[in-house]
Amino acid sequence: MARYVVVIFLLSVLAVLPATAGAPPSRVPPNVLVFGMNIESAGSLDPAHGFEFETTWVMQHLYDQLVSLPRDFSRAVPSLAVSWTASPDLKTYTFRLRTGVRFHSGNALDARAVEFSFRRVMQLKLSPSFILTDFIAKQEDVIAVGTDQVRVTFNQAMPENFMAAILSNEVASIVDPAVVRRNAAPDDPLANKWLTDHDAGSGPYELIGWNKNIKVEMKAFDGYWGGRPKMGRVYVQNISESTTQQLALQRGDIDFAANLLPTQARALASQPGFVVKSTPTFSVRYMAMNAQHEPFKNKAVRNAIKWAIDYEGVRRVFDDALDTGQTIVPARMFGHLSDRPYRRDLNRARALLREGGFERGFKVELISGSDSPLPDLAAKVKEDLAQIGIEVDIRILRGAEVLAIYRAQRHQMVFGRWGADYPDPDNLAKAFADFDSRVLAWRTQWDHAVKQTVKQAVVERDRAKREAMYKEIQRIVLDESPFVVFGYQERLVAMRSNVKGLDPSPLAYTFNFAATASKE
Amino acid sequence: MWAYLLRRALLSAFAIFGVLVIVFFLSHIIPGDPIAAILGPQAPNDLIEDLRRRWGLDRPVHEQFVRFLGRLARGDFGQSIATRRAVVQDLREFFPATIELATVAIIFGVAAGLSVGIISAVAHGQWIDHVVRFLSLIGLSMPVFWLGLILLFIFYYRLGIFPGPGQLDIFLPRPPTVTGLITVDALLARDFVALRNALGHMLLPAVVLGSHALVGIARITRASMLEVLGQDYIRVARAKGLAERTVIVRHALKNALLPIITVIGIYYGGLLEGAVLTETVFAWPGLGRYATSAILSQDFAAIMGATILIALVFSLANLAVDLAYGVLNPKIRYE
Repeated sequence: MARYVVVIFLLSVLAVLPATAGAPPSRVPPNVLVFGMNIESAGSLDPAHGFEFETTWVMQHLYDQLVSLPRDFSRAVPSLAVSWTASPDLKTYTFRLRTGVRFHSGNALDARAVEFSFRRVMQLKLSPSFILTDFIAKQEDVIAVGTDQVRVTFNQAMPENFMAAILSNEVASIVDPAVVRRNAAPDDPLANKWLTDHDAGSGPYELIGWNKNIKVEMKAFDGYWGGRPKMGRVYVQNISESTTQQLALQRGDIDFAANLLPTQARALASQPGFVVKSTPTFSVRYMAMNAQHEPFKNKAVRNAIKWAIDYEGVRRVFDDALDTGQTIVPARMFGHLSDRPYRRDLNRARALLREGGFERGFKVELISGSDSPLPDLAAKVKEDLAQIGIEVDIRILRGAEVLAIYRAQRHQMVFGRWGADYPDPDNLAKAFADFDSRVLAWRTQWDHAVKQTVKQAVVERDRAKREAMYKEIQRIVLDESPFVVFGYQERLVAMRSNVKGLDPSPLAYTFNFAATASKE
Repeated sequence: MWAYLLRRALLSAFAIFGVLVIVFFLSHIIPGDPIAAILGPQAPNDLIEDLRRRWGLDRPVHEQFVRFLGRLARGDFGQSIATRRAVVQDLREFFPATIELATVAIIFGVAAGLSVGIISAVAHGQWIDHVVRFLSLIGLSMPVFWLGLILLFIFYYRLGIFPGPGQLDIFLPRPPTVTGLITVDALLARDFVALRNALGHMLLPAVVLGSHALVGIARITRASMLEVLGQDYIRVARAKGLAERTVIVRHALKNALLPIITVIGIYYGGLLEGAVLTETVFAWPGLGRYATSAILSQDFAAIMGATILIALVFSLANLAVDLAYGVLNPKIRYE
């Protein structure tokens, strides 16, 4: 009887095995790239709508913009626009378009398409639209002049590199008006729903399909004005678990793993056949003190905390995947100030507490998100501040709750992370130093005169003066603000060593790889 | 029988309504701003407020509930804030993946669990019984997440016997969607390459998912069989000279099945609500990850849609079990 049952059991398993035996694991052909990454938060591939990290990176390859940025983000580089002129007040730019550019549909890309695309973003008013609408007041300020010129009038003076930072953003992508109109619906006149998972671009790659939470598939666009990319097909496979990504990379089923943990990436770096690359991103990790909460009203107390933090220890909490800058403008961005005045000095911290009238210390609540390694970071900060008599009560909450408390100005201390929306220091300065912009300075209730410098710096036409102003802003934030900057998140990516031309970007998983990616 | 079914349907509807009320109000009580969370910390305030108005989240909770019921009556589960698609569309996409995985998992769990449980019961007190019980305890204690990673490491990475994460090899086009079940759609399209590939991809996650069911079914099978095997009619059957196989299968197992069926039904219902950890490890686009993600981001429409579906699934699973009783035991009749 037992033998009979065992045989049935084995047969039931073996019945399934032939389906698997001999099924070869996938291998990646030489003209194909497969990325393994977590794309579950990807919401929409419509440039007027998609604002998630994953979708903007895909859009970078499906669409073109008027200008692009070099890898040092220092100036505007011709893209769809081959040249431009600016008015003396730097408020109006006239772009001359490249001729002969076609959309994936085969339609010609002309000035009317540019006008349509910008106005579409402004009409839809979705998540990323502020990047344009903060600087372009009305739709009529974007106008086609003939078929090959577009005039854009900004609501302030725009130094060229700042103009490039805005107009190279994916929200300023040029979409095919005819395709949009063809796929419009009565309740969706601008085809926002259709463009969620279709493309109307002119970029180096065309979208073949997007199965949500499964994969994105793109193929090289034969008619691309910049030349057909070498990698004929690109797949982005959704793999949210980092260990699974690592195994798939090692097995050869993917070429590139985007979400490995630092320890996993370092383990791969020491193995032949793999390359690990890293770059500091434009994402600032910080702790904010509520400037209207006693004792943080006092600058001396705020600075006491800055002198009490063990910054090297914090870096270890992040598994060394943190570039320990202390200023709000990240490394590699124009205007970055490399000063790092703070280090752990408990005597100095205690002296500052005495000066602030809190010699005996005090109790304070620290709100932290639950994503790793924030709880560990909270424990580290608690331990550091205990050394100077500050008792920290940690509350670990979901991200949505942390944000709600932070936005409502109800925090005492809170962890935050700010990623630049565009690669210009204005984005960071406005957030951290301009109370009137109602972002971070407002949330922490820190209303400082430096906000005037922020408003002046964004319209300063002289590049050297502009840089000096941002450095001054950063000095003031370092010395007086309620922000403790821990550093800039590093991006670690791993790939197989036969893959060339893929480099991590401070802004995205990689720089646009259409022209550079190849395999040996 | 029809009266019984109607009564069960009405009771289930009340139960589901009760679940909806509780989940709806609980999800709105949890602190946090879902719009701000989904748009991110850098979204401007006016955009957040605009979206909150558009989604009706600025209305009082009870008003939101009434609107929700009104939409539900029209078959509209609302729109997910995260995916920006109709929740019905999301569920239609993610639930079939869970159905397939859960079904293969339960088949594995039942086949293996029944076998192991019977062996253990028949060899009661012998070394094989002790080994089976010991392994069952280990299986029950093993975290699903860990088991999944270990199996992937051994069978995918080291041995290369099984394919990797996902439902299909990435280069294989998905068969045309008819049912949403990839294996069924492959069969309907006579795409046997995709069918084999999909089954291959399904095996490891199904083993992981079915492992806890296997252990639970094995334990209840063993217990139920032991009780039946001690009955007088079994002794009589053996005394009459019937083959042991006939005694075990036709007499003992058939009478031991009632509690086993109950447990199978409960496990299957549980598997059908998705298994977020298994889905995470194997990159399986199922209901578990969708529902978990909805809860964490307070995506109210998605939470309610997933809740309705899961409640319905459980009700149907329970009904199927009750009907199975009637089939297995002619003494049980439903009026």
